[in-house]
Amino acid sequence: MIADTIKAPAGSVIKPAPRARRRSAASRISAVLLILTAVVMLAPFIWTALSVTKPTDVAFANPPVLTGYTPTLKAFQDLWETTYFAQYLINTLVVAVLSTIVALVLGIPAAYALSRFPGYVSAILLLLALVFRSLPRFSVVLPMYEISKSLGIYDTTFALAAALVAINQPFSIWLLRNFFAEIPKELDEAAMIDGCTRWGTLRRVMIPLMRPGIFTAGIFVFLFAFQEYLTALVLTDTSSKTVPVFITTQLGQTLPMLQQAGAAAMLLTLPVIAISFVAQKYLVAGLSDGSVKG
Amino acid sequence: MRRREFALLMGPSLLVMLGLLVVPLVRTIQWSFQKVEYGSPGDFIGLSNYAQAMSDPRLGRAVFFTLLLTVIVTATILVLGYLIATGMNGLGKLRPYILGAMLVAYVLPNIVGAVSFSWLFDQNFGGAVNYVIQALTGQNILWFTETWPNRIMVIAHTVWHLLPFSMLMILAGLQGVPKELREAALIDGASGRKTHLYVIIPTIRGVLGFVCLITIMDVLRTFDNLIPLSPQADAIGNESIMLYVFDTAFRDGSAQLGLGSAINVLAILLILVCLFPFIRGLLKEAKAKA
Repeated sequence: MIADTIKAPAGSVIKPAPRARRRSAASRISAVLLILTAVVMLAPFIWTALSVTKPTDVAFANPPVLTGYTPTLKAFQDLWETTYFAQYLINTLVVAVLSTIVALVLGIPAAYALSRFPGYVSAILLLLALVFRSLPRFSVVLPMYEISKSLGIYDTTFALAAALVAINQPFSIWLLRNFFAEIPKELDEAAMIDGCTRWGTLRRVMIPLMRPGIFTAGIFVFLFAFQEYLTALVLTDTSSKTVPVFITTQLGQTLPMLQQAGAAAMLLTLPVIAISFVAQKYLVAGLSDGSVKG
Repeated sequence: MRRREFALLMGPSLLVMLGLLVVPLVRTIQWSFQKVEYGSPGDFIGLSNYAQAMSDPRLGRAVFFTLLLTVIVTATILVLGYLIATGMNGLGKLRPYILGAMLVAYVLPNIVGAVSFSWLFDQNFGGAVNYVIQALTGQNILWFTETWPNRIMVIAHTVWHLLPFSMLMILAGLQGVPKELREAALIDGASGRKTHLYVIIPTIRGVLGFVCLITIMDVLRTFDNLIPLSPQADAIGNESIMLYVFDTAFRDGSAQLGLGSAINVLAILLILVCLFPFIRGLLKEAKAKA
């Protein structure tokens, strides 16, 4: 018994050294596991990249051909020359940029107001925003289809951008409000004592302070618009078709067209990957300051 | 802030949402009581769209599949997201690269990811996964035409697509856990597992709830990825509610707007029931503040 009680502290005194070593071994294992996870997560993307740079006759062979072929960019060339891909890409970009700008211009004042006007009204509006975010897309998009047809704006980038502003507005307001809530109210009061109007306070004090938050919200809204399939499918036909819609129309067609769809997917993805690498710092920081503490 | 200022700042955004969300929503509700086609005024037919929707076994199948997907995906994502975020939190210089690589699945348009995903599994397109499974077990799995293999593939894709978001949110939450808390747990002799269970998880409860909420919302709306991943969704019982609505209300040849709208309204009710705990929590909070 006595030996045991003496041993125990003695053991724990020696402990730190092996423990530290074990820890670093554990963190090395977890790093390896994470790298593996990342590779698995990238697998579909890597596979598609391989498939579209193979000659068509081996691209979809079974069993898969992994070596011994000459890589080619023919699918990309065909995509560019035989389809209106450039137009679809421009449409996608225009819609995404336009709807991001409008969403922020409308959303920033609204989010500011919600963060500074306490009580029931703001709470109910935020709750409604949540409910609207959860609505099935079709319940607003199908009527939009009819309305846009009767207004003669069906199949325009303008109509699609407007629809996406509305659809993403609840999310952007929610996210921005949480960023504003992080800024102490005393700052507003100080600015207003110094003679700023409410609008001036927002423009001169709040927006500069909110820059990272606005950036984060902007990235999200841009990505949502860039990714949107369903709304674009319903609200566009030919002239303002976006890349995600184009890609699905290429499916189930001939193998070369399928490869072109894959090439289109690659071209759409690469800029987005670039964004995600540049922005991941903001996304993490933004989310930890922002939506989490709702 | 004065009432007038609030109205001025809030107004434009509210107007847009009123015009582009509330008006269409009201239209959907109106259509759900009508026999209607695009471009023509409908005839009021009372509840018969609802009766027709409820008596169609297709609706039951779609609801079952959608709920199944929601439950499995949400649970998987919370667990995996937490594990990965914990590992990520302990990473050093490697972190931005791994994080960036993992985010690709989330920032890719869902439909594009689903197309890529389907190529991994489709034997007609060289399917790498099929090839590996066949080499290992000699079995050839019909991912697209058999119910359960197809379900597994759809679940795998949905997890793949949504995991980065939950990981990101949980990581953000973990970074908000004060260091002192962990140290205190360590001093008190808590094991790693216990520290997670009794210290860290309760601290980031809010984040986990938020992730849960967003995931439930997104999975209930499943539509895009089924187009490439489950081309025979209806036949094999893997049709989501939204795919059913699309098929009924929009796809050429049927265009039963009234029936589709009724299913939409039923879906809204289902979503509200699923969100009820969260809504109640928020209302309580609002009451406390008011």
